[in-house]
Amino acid sequence: MNHQTMKHVLRTGFIAMIAAGAMLAAPRGSAAAEDPSAMEIVHHANLVSYFQGKDGRARVSMVIRDKQGRERKRLFTILRRDAPDTDDLANAAYRGEQKYYVYFHRPADVSKMSLLVWKHLDRDDDRWLYLPALDLVKRIAASDKRTSFAGSDFFYEDVSGRNIDLDEHKLIKTTKNYYIIRNTPKDPGSVEFSYYDAYIHKSTFLPVQIEYFDKKGQKYRVYKALKVENIQGYATVTQSSMTNLQSGSVTTLSYKGVKYNRGTPEDIFSERFLRRAPVKHLR
Amino acid sequence: MKIGFGARMIEFAGARPRLISWTMGLVTALLVVLAVLPTLWPERFPVLNAVTVDTDPENMLPHDEPVRVFNDAMKKEFSLNDIVVVGIANETDPDGVFNPDTLKRVYELTEFARGLKWPDPEDPEKQVGVVEADILAPSMVDDIRQAGLGAVSFGWLMPEPPKTREEALAVRERAMKIPMFNDTLVSGDGKMLAIYLPLTSKDMSYRVRQALLKKTASWKDTGDRIYITGLPIAEDTFGVEMFIQMAISAPLAMVVIFLIMWLFFRNLTLIISPMIVAMVASVATMALLVISGNTIHIMSSMIPIFVMPIAVLDAVHILSEFFDRYQETRDRWQTVRKVMHELFMPMLFTSLTTMVGFASLALTPIPPVQVFGIFISIGVFLAWILTILFVPAYIMMMSEEKLENFGHLPTDTDDPDTMMSRGLKRLGRAMYCHARLVMLGVAALVVLGGYGISRININDNPIKWFEESHPIRIADKVLNRHFGGTYMAYLALMPGDDGQGLDAYLKDFSARLKKAEESAAGEGIENTGKVFAALAAKAKAVAEDARDEAALLKVLNAFVEEKIDTAPDEEYDAWDAAQYFIGTELQRKQIFKQPEVLRYIEGLQQALLDTGHVGKANTLSDIVKTVHRELLLGKAEEFRIPDSAAAVAQTLLTYQNSHRPDDLWHFVTPDYRKSNIWVQLKSGDNKDMSQVVAAIEDYTAKNPPPMGIKLRWYGLNYINVVWQERMVNGMMQSLAGSFIIVLLMMAGLFRSVTWGLLSMIPLSVTIGLIYGVIGLIGKDYDMPIAVLSALSLGLAVDYAIHFIARSRAITEELGDWRLAVDKVFGEPARAIARNALVLGVGFLPLLAAPLVPYQTVGIFIAAILLTAGAATLMILPAAITLLKNFLFSRPEEAEDPACIGD
Repeated sequence: MNHQTMKHVLRTGFIAMIAAGAMLAAPRGSAAAEDPSAMEIVHHANLVSYFQGKDGRARVSMVIRDKQGRERKRLFTILRRDAPDTDDLANAAYRGEQKYYVYFHRPADVSKMSLLVWKHLDRDDDRWLYLPALDLVKRIAASDKRTSFAGSDFFYEDVSGRNIDLDEHKLIKTTKNYYIIRNTPKDPGSVEFSYYDAYIHKSTFLPVQIEYFDKKGQKYRVYKALKVENIQGYATVTQSSMTNLQSGSVTTLSYKGVKYNRGTPEDIFSERFLRRAPVKHLR
Repeated sequence: MKIGFGARMIEFAGARPRLISWTMGLVTALLVVLAVLPTLWPERFPVLNAVTVDTDPENMLPHDEPVRVFNDAMKKEFSLNDIVVVGIANETDPDGVFNPDTLKRVYELTEFARGLKWPDPEDPEKQVGVVEADILAPSMVDDIRQAGLGAVSFGWLMPEPPKTREEALAVRERAMKIPMFNDTLVSGDGKMLAIYLPLTSKDMSYRVRQALLKKTASWKDTGDRIYITGLPIAEDTFGVEMFIQMAISAPLAMVVIFLIMWLFFRNLTLIISPMIVAMVASVATMALLVISGNTIHIMSSMIPIFVMPIAVLDAVHILSEFFDRYQETRDRWQTVRKVMHELFMPMLFTSLTTMVGFASLALTPIPPVQVFGIFISIGVFLAWILTILFVPAYIMMMSEEKLENFGHLPTDTDDPDTMMSRGLKRLGRAMYCHARLVMLGVAALVVLGGYGISRININDNPIKWFEESHPIRIADKVLNRHFGGTYMAYLALMPGDDGQGLDAYLKDFSARLKKAEESAAGEGIENTGKVFAALAAKAKAVAEDARDEAALLKVLNAFVEEKIDTAPDEEYDAWDAAQYFIGTELQRKQIFKQPEVLRYIEGLQQALLDTGHVGKANTLSDIVKTVHRELLLGKAEEFRIPDSAAAVAQTLLTYQNSHRPDDLWHFVTPDYRKSNIWVQLKSGDNKDMSQVVAAIEDYTAKNPPPMGIKLRWYGLNYINVVWQERMVNGMMQSLAGSFIIVLLMMAGLFRSVTWGLLSMIPLSVTIGLIYGVIGLIGKDYDMPIAVLSALSLGLAVDYAIHFIARSRAITEELGDWRLAVDKVFGEPARAIARNALVLGVGFLPLLAAPLVPYQTVGIFIAAILLTAGAATLMILPAAITLLKNFLFSRPEEAEDPACIGD
């Protein structure tokens, strides 16, 4: 652990302790009256990060820059469609099944490669991959979602959202602008982190920074929202990065042409449309 | 004139013994303090150099050596680190390590190893130790496998310790199906496992090994065994043991030399003086080495062991003469003066020749060997000064009573009646009488030596620096029997000149552009004509001053990307198609996605295995083939390179959807312009590596690589081969160079080319014989052996100088060589014999060393000194006898009566 991180962890830990102490000591309801509960914050953040609108589309350019400064670029379009028709937070009505369609444009030799994901709340996702050069549609058993997304520093779970039921959430600190939520896995054996802290913006509820800590308590992975734009009334992260502190690699995602509620039909999220890209909806 | 200078020195020593002793003591103390202070308190003495240890054989080559520069560059490009290999075996379980208990321990050990990181003392921001992200262990590598219903699954090979025997065996089955793991992670016989721990730097390996051994100490009664090896371990452990070695062997050698001298001279007080000379000379030399900022390397750690015997040599001559003469007058000043006058010139020249011998090592292209040679030269010089000044001074400071019974009492014959005296006398006569026979024998030995030399095997292997019983040697043996190999070398494949000029490229480019336009139009994209025409015009304009196609495409790509962002909606798709086209043009340069290149790598891999020395070669082709097979239902016949570059690219992108996407970059650079083959060799023998290099050269000559691809070796094992070649050639040159210089010095000293040539005979025979024996017994010609040639040259000539100087003086005195023989084989021969015995036997304690290079040095120094002594006492008298009419101007009688009856 380097010096800075050490200091940081110590400081964070220290502040967390004070915060925890203060919470125990303070009379109930004083601070909590203004602050929403941890679960409320998490649901809100989950909604704005992954469930805004009935559907969404973005053209994403991905730049993976390794420690040596070498860059790899990918360009893909991502389509999303939610099963629920509402964004209502009450009773977590916004939550439900989701379908994703990812279509690669570049590099040229992986152009037309596509990926279909059906996200479920109660079981493993279904995932299919289409490799045009091999003329092959392949089902991927997605038991582990914490694998790299297309060779980048983002995991599948980062792109499509981690099921909030898998972690315990605790509000460890509230600052002027942020709620800091500590998320601890219910099944520590299934993930590589011991916990992660999300800095959630108070007004937009967008997580602007997420820090992952390994089993030895060292920070090893950091997500940052770099740019937020208002699109069709939705606060949307249009640039974000994920840094792997161990390998020194950074992946930056830039979202262009973000559109919500285009009325994307459900039938294009099917195996049949993997081979025959739904060109109209991708543009 | 030199005698004048020498005489003044001798008078000074006699007159100011205390001044000399104090000066010597103070200067030595000062040097030691200058070396020790910065070592103990580096922060307080930043200007001074501290002791730094360097056990890295890579440093046998200068840092800017092309092979090292390339090695460093490639290691960085492919993110490679030196690796510690940890093998785990279980000899009691029928399934070997593949049982739940052992795998649980392996899992825990892996978790433990992940944490073997410490803050970098030089940069607290960084950590040193195990590179966690690149560990190869069952719980940390990804497996791609069939998951039923035609699905494929990516997941950890062993996400958690298995609970049942079936699950444990399943881990084995899965690992053995993945070529990258079979024989690397799991042994070919399915009984053992290996964990690969990459290190931030080699010098972490001792620490890592100690931590692992401590952690696994509790495995004692489990039936599980741990074996730790790998070149970094060998090198780093050697460094640690080197110090223990220096602390034990050098003093032990001193003790033995001391005991033998006591046996000869029987005067404790007197023989302390050569010990002091040896101690001061070696301590001061080492202090100077540290002060001057040089590192203690495998070579320089041997400096004291070399300086000590040489330092004692001259003092033994003085004591030997003093011993034989003291009782004549019982006046120590008279005796010392006489002895010193007689020995001054021979001692000066023996020291000079020794210095030349070692200084010639500075001509080798190997920095540590240069440092070694230069500092031994300095040590020899110090020893000479000390001998000339301090030994007489010491004798003068002794009380008269202590010398009371010293030396031989004068007898009738003027020679003592001891076994050595009688033996030497008889030897002298025999050599004189059977000169022809002796020379014939010598000729026979020279022929035998020559034959032996022709059979010399040039080879080195850092693992073999340890004794066979050393845990590292045992681990090495076990692991290399079960796995692909623990010795790493790498073969880089790089783009060569594809021979196509820009003009030729442009022609093809235009044709392909046309096709792309047609196909885009065929898809119904609007405005293709306009957009592609703009692109063609831009290409034409840029081509005029573009250096090469890469530069051209870079400009075009930027142009198209800008257009995509700014183009009106109706032109967007056409520009997108144009960019796709430029993308495909750029990817034509990605040679390591081309099926034909990947198939060539397959062939290369087979050629590597066919050498018999390579246990395993891991390539980009293996990854592509494995993923391709698993995508196609795991069918064995799909274990092949797909037919298009796009299929390869898509296979590789699929591979990157794993836990460890970056593993790919160990085998190919992200631009797909360079590839890397990881070669695991079963032995660290340089000769095996050389054979592999030759075999691949042969293969590529017969099967030229596609697209002008060039191959270049790197990696620790390969670097060892390069410096070995340097060393062998360098040593030849330095040996030849110093031979000529010493010969010129001898001719000058004796004012005669014939005597000069004669003095070179014993050392030539000694070197020939010693190296002949090395060839005959099959001992590898390695680093210590190579360096010993300089020692033989420098030391072997000493005896000849003493012998010839005294032979000529006595012949002059007596007027006849025949009469002189007896006298030469009196006191002068005894001094030589004593010398050879003292030193030869004195170095045998090195045989007790646990490190083989020290053993080698010990046994060969002993052999060289004894052989050189014997060669001098046998060859020179015989040769002088045969050449006497030529060497001495006076004619002699035909037959010597002394020989009758012999």
